Parts: sequence; structure tokens; C-alpha cells
Amino acid sequence: MTTPMIQLSGVRKSFGSVEIIQGVDIAVEDGEFTVFVGPSGCGKSTLLRMIAGLESIDSGDLVLNGKRINDVPPDQRGIAMVFQSYALYPHMTVAQNIGFSLDLKKVPKAEIAREVGRVSELLQLSELLDRRPAELSGGQRQRVAIGRAIIKRPRVILFDEPLSNLDAALRVQMRAELQKLHQELRPTIVYVTHDQVEAMTMATRIVVLNKGRVEQWDTPIELYNNPINTFVAGFIGSPRMNLVPGTIIGDAASQSFKANAGWTTRLDNRSLAGAVGQLVTLGMRPEHIQPATDNVDLEATIAIVERLGAETYLNARNGDDTLLVRAQGDLALAPGSTVKLALNHGAFHLFDQSGRVITG
Amino acid sequence: MAGISEKRSGAYTFLAYVTLIVISIFCILPFIWMALASIDSNAQLFLKWPDSVTFDHYTKVFAEENGVRWFANSLFTVLSATFIVMVVAGLGGYALSRSKAWWKQPFLYAILLIRVLPSTALLVPLYKILLTANNGIGTLLRPLVGEHYRSVMQLFGFIDGYLGLIIVLATGQLPLALWIMKVFFDGVPKDYEEAAILDGATLVQRIRRVLIPLALPGLAAAGLFAFMSAWGDFLLPLILLSSPELQTLPIGLFRAFLRVNEIDYGLLAALATIYLIPAVIAFSFARRFLVQTFSGGVKG
Ligand SMILES: Nc1ncnc2c1ncn2[C@@H]1O[C@H](COP(=O)(O)OP(=O)(O)O)[C@@H](O)[C@H]1O
Ligand SMILES: [Mg+2]
Repeated sequence: MTTPMIQLSGVRKSFGSVEIIQGVDIAVEDGEFTVFVGPSGCGKSTLLRMIAGLESIDSGDLVLNGKRINDVPPDQRGIAMVFQSYALYPHMTVAQNIGFSLDLKKVPKAEIAREVGRVSELLQLSELLDRRPAELSGGQRQRVAIGRAIIKRPRVILFDEPLSNLDAALRVQMRAELQKLHQELRPTIVYVTHDQVEAMTMATRIVVLNKGRVEQWDTPIELYNNPINTFVAGFIGSPRMNLVPGTIIGDAASQSFKANAGWTTRLDNRSLAGAVGQLVTLGMRPEHIQPATDNVDLEATIAIVERLGAETYLNARNGDDTLLVRAQGDLALAPGSTVKLALNHGAFHLFDQSGRVITG
Repeated sequence: MAGISEKRSGAYTFLAYVTLIVISIFCILPFIWMALASIDSNAQLFLKWPDSVTFDHYTKVFAEENGVRWFANSLFTVLSATFIVMVVAGLGGYALSRSKAWWKQPFLYAILLIRVLPSTALLVPLYKILLTANNGIGTLLRPLVGEHYRSVMQLFGFIDGYLGLIIVLATGQLPLALWIMKVFFDGVPKDYEEAAILDGATLVQRIRRVLIPLALPGLAAAGLFAFMSAWGDFLLPLILLSSPELQTLPIGLFRAFLRVNEIDYGLLAALATIYLIPAVIAFSFARRFLVQTFSGGVKG
């Protein structure tokens, strides 16, 4: 196994008496696109800034390419960063912004111009080199910020919510451009976002953070298919996974799930004999609940219908349980009417009372 | 409905313009009198068209009076004080903005108090302090400079010397300038500095290439207020300077007003016009920085 590009071992950080990063262990391989995702305030930015060297590390090791860099100054780590605010110097032109780090290193003017030319061509900024940041659109500023980061050919580029200031359409476009850039230059990227869609679409691997801890760390599809706890289950996937509280009932031979709202459903292909009587949470992705006429598991009253054409989202109620259904095709169902629902028993996720997944 | 509100807004606009015009005339009249009187061969206390246009008053300021010297004294002391204010307020404002020290707020309000207290009330203790300092620096310098003692003390003395006036002028302007710079730096995100750190800028490079350019509008505003206010200061030079060759322009103007039995309004108007010019230049110069927008680097 090769040495990872970035390795964090037992990394901790407190602000005052509050421990914001509570022991993080992860490794980022060379050329990987790793995304830190988690709710606002969970410590993503802090962790990223610790890698950059903008925040000190209280304890634990930060290893870059085999070398412990806890105490190496930020500019000597070979790491570049794109800020959420872009932080383009307003008094400099686009070319000066991009070339600033080379200018500081006293690189000859001709070489700076050449490098700025290379980067601006890559990012389609060649026409804008003489403008100031104030004269650029949001997407253009974003690209200048990326240009400033990549001109030094860093081994690692850190992004802190770089798309959060853009409108939805531009965000989709920049997402594609970032992926293209990653494929062309193959830098190691650590990318922070609170938007799980961004994480799912771009990441090689996702680190799900919550309250300063790593909840789960894996490829996007693995996180989607096998969340290890209710937090990850609820956080990854859009629309969210349905999480229904209930109890396991039955005997040694066969078991069922009984929702607190009253309805029950079989639990197939599982050996849950020991868990009978246990309080659990049943997780079901919206696409695993479908309106049906055969094999009906429960009936529910439709509260909201969202017809998107190719898909229809239903918000259906059974007692206290609200189930989000993602049905294929266009369904002309009226709110207030009753719908019969069939569940995909093979795609159930069961979580114990502490929220951890139950395998078996 | 629309008609009524239009009529009303029309009347309001008319009233607003009339009010503004009246205020403008009221404000501008003294300047018109001054400009006209300064080129009037027979200037009077009241506003009138010049009998005949002459530049004798201006020639007189420079030829017969010590106008050049007063002007140079004013410019030197006020510019020095402004420079000190800009450097100290720039560094101090930055520190006050970024610091999380507990004494930050008390300190900020305490220095504002300096500004609020009338300086006249503090004059006696201030004079006493400066006198002590003056004696101190005098004993220090006398053995060093020997026969040049008097001219050296005119530069470095605290009483009847440039240094004392400059320091006191700067001190008076510092509270406001510190506030301006503190508030200004509050609006400059830390991201710029952190981006510069990652770009590999040293502390000095960060200050020179990032912070100072970013702070320029604020520094210009702080410097402008310091210059205008110190330029208009009359009491401090009157109290602190006694040698005729150290007099500043407002003191010269004041003495010229007192000295002759018959008041020469033309000469006074010419002096006042000259006194006005640097302030006007300072304003138009600093206005460029104030208007210049620095938005767009960090998303607002
Ligand atoms: N410089 C700081 N001083 C004190 N608390 C901080 C500081 N920076 C961040 N925090 C706190 O640390 C927590 C995590 O912040 P952050 O890493 O920015 O979260 P995220 O980027 O995931 O939204 C927040 O509760 C925030 O208030
Ligand atoms: Mg953040």
C-alpha cells in the first residue's frame, strides 16, 4: 500500500473549553477527490483550516506525503486553498491575483506571464486578465480563485464551500468544471460542503462529519447503500431516507417490523431472532416505497403530491408516520386520497436505539 | 390618487430645492466675500463687487508679512501630525479590529472621551506636562548640540518647538482616526490575509501588498479628517508656539487682524484664501479614495 497524501491521526482541536474536533482519523490518497460533508457548524472548515495550517492542531498528527507537518508554516506545505468568499485581492487585476504567489517568490515577470497564461487558458479567463474582481461575475470570480490556487502546481488543493455563493444553475456548471479540472490535473483535493448532492456527485470518497467526529468514511455509493447509522442514513441521499420508529415482533422462525403507528411489515432474509422485542428504526429510501396493487404493505393518506413529470413525489401519512415516496412516472393522485404502498423488503435498513445499523 | 401624490411630491421637491438653495447660499456667502475682497483694491467688511481687481493683497502677504514662513510652518506641522496619525491609526486600528482582548471595548470608549472633552479644559495640565518634557529633553540635548541649542530646540522642543506641536496635534486627532480604522478593518475579512499567507507572503509583504492597499480608502478618510481638523486648529499653536519664526498660518492671520489700527480687509481675505487652499486640495484628493469602490473581492 502506498503512503496516503494526507493522513490525520487522532486530530483534536478546542476553541476555549469547547472541543470542536474530537479525534479525527482519516487518510486521503494521492489524486483523490475527498469531500468533507456535514451539517453547518460540525467543524468541517476548522478541519480544513488545520490541514492548510491556518489553525493550530491541539493534539494528534497531520502527515503530508509521509512527513509530519503539524508545525510546518502554511506556505511551505505545498497546499493551496480556495476560500468560500474567494478572497480575491480587490486592488489587483485578475492576472495579478493569479500571479501573486509567483510574484512574491520573485519569479521573473516573463515566466509569471507565461504561467498566468497557462492557467487562464485552462480556466477560460484569458479575456479577463486586465479586469478587477469587482468587474467579474460570480462564476468568473470563482475561476480566478481556482486559478490562484493551481498556479503553484500544489499537490493538494483545499476548497471550503466554493460553490455556496453561486446560483443553482451556475453551481451545476461549476461542479462539472471542477470535476473536469480534477481529471486533467489530478491534484489531491479536499473539498468541504454542507450540500450532500455536491458530495455525492464529485467525491471519490466522502467523510461524513458530525459534531467534530467522523460518522462514516467511504465511497459515495457505499454511503448511500450501507449507511452505518441513522445520522448518515438521514444525511446522505436526496430526498432523505424515511426513518420510521417501531419494534421487532415475531418468533424464532420469522420476524416483522411493527411501526409505532400500527402497521407491520415482514423482515425477510434476516436472522433477527435474538432481536425480537427490540425498539428499532426502520430506514427506507423513498424509491423503495412504491404505489402498488399487489403485495401491499400499508395504506396511507396522501398529503402532498409533487409531479415532476418523470417522477412523482408523494408525501403519505399513516398515523404519526409520514413516508416520502418517490414513484416512477407521472401519477395523477389527489391529496386526501388513499394510496396502497408496497415496500422493497430487500432494501431495508434497521438501526438500533443508539442509531447504529443492525446487520444480520 | 396618483395625481394627488404626484402633486404632493412635486410640492415637496420644490420645497426641498428651495431649502437646499437657501442653505447653500448661506454657506457659500462668506467664501464669495472672501474671494472678492481678496482681489478688491478697496475691500470692505460687507459683500461688494471689487472696485478694481488687484493682487496687491496676495503680494503683501508674501512680501511684507511672513506669509511663506507661516504657510510652511502650518504645512510642516500639520502634515507631520497627519502622517503620524495615519501610521499609528493604521497599525492600531488593525490591532483593535483583530484583537479579542477584554480591554478592547473599554479602551475604545476611553479614547473617545479624549475627543469629547474640550481641549481648552485640559490646556493647563497639558502645558505643565509639555514643560516638564521640554526641560527634560533640553537638559539632554544641551551638552550634545552646544551652540545650536536654540535652533535644535525649535525642532525638537515640546514648548515653542515643532515636535511638541506635532505630537499634541497628532494626539488630538488619533481617537477619531483609530475608530475610523478599527471600523474599517472590521469590514476587511480575514480571508484576504489568510489567502496571502497561503500565497507565501511574509508579514511585511502582507502589510505592504495586501493590507495597506485594502486600507487605503480608510487611511485616506482618517488622514483627511486629521489634516482638516489639525489645519484648522488655532488654540494649540497659539499656546505652544511663541517664536515669531514658528508661527502657523492661523496665528499669523490672527496677529495681522490684531496688529494694525485700521483693519486691512483685503489682506485678511487674501490670507484666509491662502489658508483655505490646502484644505480644499486635501478634500478633493481624499475624495477620490472615498468614492473609489473596493467591493467585489470578497463576496458582500
Ligand atoms: N476562531 C474560532 N473561535 C471560536 N469558535 C470557533 C472558531 N472557529 C470556529 N468556531 C466554532 O467551531 C464550530 C465549527 O465551526 P466550523 O468549522 O466553521 O463549522 P462548519 O464549517 O462545519 O460549518 C462552530 O461552532 C464555530 O462556532
Ligand atoms: Mg464552514
